[in-house]
Amino acid sequence: MNSTLIISVLRSAIRAGTPLLYATVGEIYAERSGVMNLGVEGMMIMGAVSGYAMGIITGNPWIAIFLAGVVGALMALVHSVLSINFRVNQVVSGLALTMFGLGLSSLAGAKYIGVPKRASLTTVKIPVLSKIPLIGEVFFNQDPMVYVSFILIPVLWFILFKTKVGIIIRSVGENPAAADALGVKIYLVRHLCTIFGGFMAGLAGAYLSVVYTPAWVENMTAGRGWIAVALTIFSLWSPIRAMLGAYLFGGVEAVQFNLQAYGIPPDVLGMMPYLLTILVMVFGAEERIRKRLGAPSALGIPYVRGEK
Amino acid sequence: MTTAQWIAVIVVVAIVASGLTYFLVPAKTVTQIVEKEVTPKIKAGWIYVGPIGDYGWTKAHDEGRLFCEKVFPWLETTYVESVAEGDCPRVIEDLIADGCTVIFTTSFGFMDPTLEMAKKHPDIIFWHCSGYKRYKNMGTYFSEFYQLYYLNGLMAGALTKTNKIGYVAAHTIPEVVRHINAFAIGVKEVNPDAKVYVRVIHAWYDPTKAREAAEALIAEGCDVLAFTEDSPTVIEVGQEYTEKGQQIYTFSHYSPMEDYGPDSCVSGQIAHWEVIYADILAKVYSGYYTTTNLENIDYWWMLRQGACELGGKEGELINPKFVDELKAVKVTDKITGEEMSVYDLVMLRLKQMSEDVPTFDPFTGPLYDNKGVLRARPGERLGHDELWTMQWWFESVVGPELGG
Repeated sequence: MNSTLIISVLRSAIRAGTPLLYATVGEIYAERSGVMNLGVEGMMIMGAVSGYAMGIITGNPWIAIFLAGVVGALMALVHSVLSINFRVNQVVSGLALTMFGLGLSSLAGAKYIGVPKRASLTTVKIPVLSKIPLIGEVFFNQDPMVYVSFILIPVLWFILFKTKVGIIIRSVGENPAAADALGVKIYLVRHLCTIFGGFMAGLAGAYLSVVYTPAWVENMTAGRGWIAVALTIFSLWSPIRAMLGAYLFGGVEAVQFNLQAYGIPPDVLGMMPYLLTILVMVFGAEERIRKRLGAPSALGIPYVRGEK
Repeated sequence: MTTAQWIAVIVVVAIVASGLTYFLVPAKTVTQIVEKEVTPKIKAGWIYVGPIGDYGWTKAHDEGRLFCEKVFPWLETTYVESVAEGDCPRVIEDLIADGCTVIFTTSFGFMDPTLEMAKKHPDIIFWHCSGYKRYKNMGTYFSEFYQLYYLNGLMAGALTKTNKIGYVAAHTIPEVVRHINAFAIGVKEVNPDAKVYVRVIHAWYDPTKAREAAEALIAEGCDVLAFTEDSPTVIEVGQEYTEKGQQIYTFSHYSPMEDYGPDSCVSGQIAHWEVIYADILAKVYSGYYTTTNLENIDYWWMLRQGACELGGKEGELINPKFVDELKAVKVTDKITGEEMSVYDLVMLRLKQMSEDVPTFDPFTGPLYDNKGVLRARPGERLGHDELWTMQWWFESVVGPELGG
């Protein structure tokens, strides 16, 4: 095991984990406010196709990624209206959006298959920092979206846990009746958090198609949206822990091709990220365990003023 | 719900609908020829497993279809792309209902559905690509690349500096195993110390996995990459590393991909399906092929029929950038003992394999597999069936466990 190999695997773990990270932290915000958004996969894939399409049309990767986020946000808006205003079962609404997103993205993306990328982001070495042995090459030899996540995610953690805005969000997810009595606009907070979650999922998808691969392939998210949903539990609804989880899952995904060298059947290795996801979900989905892990108490429960 | 809420809902739906409509694509139009005179026409339908835009396997088939359309005024063609194996029977029915009397199914996985449909529709002619089951009205065809892979292997063995050559494999069906083995046989002939490392990605078309596998191989020290995957991703990865100062040599696959990696792509394999399609369709039109005499028709066309071409670019056997390097490496011809440069050896072998009766075949014994078992005796050439069912790795290949 030489150092080049270790560095390469760790670098790949971060790159592969970045889309998971964006989507997970977005979902953390949504769930912290009490809305379970299972449409992440659909929003991610729509972000991927929109990002790629916008990249071809505008030639600017940043505009493309941003617009992809907007598309994800719009989809999340549908989910939030359905689940908050119409009190549709959040699981159903989210799943419906996932399927819708997968289908629409294939339709919309048909004319972009095989079209060479026009806009992408290449790796940028941060001067000085990237010279640090091991850490420098792993963390500071990445593309700009990874660097954005290095700054954005801690900021989002800070907002959620150290500011008044964060307290408001978390109170809406824990005890909306009490928050409502104190004058917090429950519906508005939930809408905004869900939309933000969709925006981040869109960014995650665009990262895949504009930077990571970069290409548009049908169903290219390959279930990463679902891994993100599992990661929100795995991270105990905290953005910093989400970073650890995302890079762990990213590492499992990235290292499968290296592990093939050790005789482990490729089929088994390909299953690893998803097996890990299932384990997390099985363990974390039980009501009892969720309460112990610190899940938002009102997660998934629509709020109606006056109802118990 | 209050009025305000209704208005909010309508506004939301309107925004979402208008935003999403931007992306909706108009329905695909089917290619058709409009003829002025009334001549007996044949309508042929192609079923593709992937998208035409894959720039790999499916695109090459489509180029073949377009060529025939251009060249035969009596031919009308249509196609359906990205057909999952389970959908194949339904799509065949659709094509027949649409008036197709000749149907080409272009993926190994379509074999059984095609046979089933051939039995159900005895008046339609079926052609299945890359399979081995035939019927009265179902023939098979394939453009076999192993000769080209062998030639690529000669170049790979000469150019590698680390003696580690990587191969990104879609699946490990006999076709891919055969190609990898031919590649490895070429490598060994020029460089007995080099090994070929195989990573499987379980998809014919998946740029993300191809990239991850290619990067994993490079991280482990491979400086030459070949692949079976339907996109230019591996070549792009090679080009990116080369541009950053680490020379990676790559070999293009199926469609001319050299432009994706002008400093990395050395050569490759190009499919010329049009040669086979034109032959088949001409014989169908002339009545030579009927719905009852196809049981033994198996096109296994290679270099000498022009069904495939060496190179990463049409008309260019080897990327000029690497010709001098190949001329500088000397090797001894294993058959005649003559000393020559690798470049000359490649040209010699190309000529030998393009003859009407090829005087050289890479799968000539003695051949050992990577467990030490002798698979071909000295002087023995592996036959069609042995090549078709190959599930063992050549001795210098490091790959996952196979069927047998």
